[in-house]
Amino acid sequence: MKKVLLGLIFLTGSVFAHTAIMSCFDNGDNTITCEGGFSDGSSASGVIFYVLKDDKKVFESKMSEDSEITFDKPDGNFEAVFDAGEGHQVHVKSSDITE
Amino acid sequence: MLQKNMIKISSKKILAGSALLAGLTTGAFAHFQMLYTPNTALVKGETIELREVFTHPFADEHTMDMGKQHDSKELKPVEEFYVINKGKKTDLKSTLKGITFTGQHNSGKAYASQYKAQRMGDHVLILQPAPYYEVNEDAYIQQITKSIINVAGTPTDWDSDLGLKAEIVPLTKPYAIWEGGSFTGVVKSKGKPVPYAEIEVEYLNRDVDMKNNKTGKAYVEAPQDAFVTMGIKADKDGEFTFTLPKAGFWGFAALGVGSDKTYKGKELSQDAVIWVEAKPMK
Repeated sequence: MKKVLLGLIFLTGSVFAHTAIMSCFDNGDNTITCEGGFSDGSSASGVIFYVLKDDKKVFESKMSEDSEITFDKPDGNFEAVFDAGEGHQVHVKSSDITE
Repeated sequence: MLQKNMIKISSKKILAGSALLAGLTTGAFAHFQMLYTPNTALVKGETIELREVFTHPFADEHTMDMGKQHDSKELKPVEEFYVINKGKKTDLKSTLKGITFTGQHNSGKAYASQYKAQRMGDHVLILQPAPYYEVNEDAYIQQITKSIINVAGTPTDWDSDLGLKAEIVPLTKPYAIWEGGSFTGVVKSKGKPVPYAEIEVEYLNRDVDMKNNKTGKAYVEAPQDAFVTMGIKADKDGEFTFTLPKAGFWGFAALGVGSDKTYKGKELSQDAVIWVEAKPMK
């Protein structure tokens, strides 16, 4: 029982107990902005972000202080990935990104 | 045959009686400033349609002309309309377009607007219409109204205390409540709780036809008038909780809690309104 309690405390004390969320939009000037966050409102500042095109990383960076990132829009289909660790990756497809 | 006639007469009498009753109770139902958009929990950023209508959301027996004055035929324009997202305030007054909104019994002057809810998080919409002259009471009503929409599920601004003259600050996210869940809020005036505030609660009992700016069929019938406008009170700390028994939109209006008490030399009820949406579990 003690072990279970300790485990719970450990889990809820970390951002990984919460859902990772990302939303992206097209700025209309050939750039895309993606905003990252967590379901409890914690900052996503410093979280790894990359863009996949044909399964290759074509851009990699970290979320800014405001938990967002802007990058040049690749040609064709791509995927934006918010990577907050194992089991906390959010993939947004280019077809779902609108102005 | 005789019996049949008697039944006919008595049903006519009942009808006449209920018409009279309807006449008597008109005006007794609560006025609610609507700041309506059909979905408050958006999966991703999009441009949303809004309707700003001053009506009685349950009974829909009278749609008011927003900004009506006692000393002029001209309607006064909206005083303030803005949105807050991630602490940034954006003025939306110029997005308001005058429309005629048609309820079940009459039409009233209202507004329509669009808003690009692009960024993630909460978008707190605040509408402060001009005081409305209620002829039956020879007094003015001004309902400072808050509707909160969320993009993608990250909480950012929903619990902000904006220090408004009349305000309901939510303690529950107003866009993330299941049908049967409850909503808790605090009634405030300029950031200070209002103990034992009187609050009216109404269910938006009609479809809102956004294309034609009119209301549709009623969803439910009230067993008695106390269910049309439900009166509740805040506790000593201005806090209240209400369980939402049905999916849809619920309006809360804390009456006369605002700091302004008169307008143009007449009594003013400056109310705080918040809209809350319960989603069906399916």
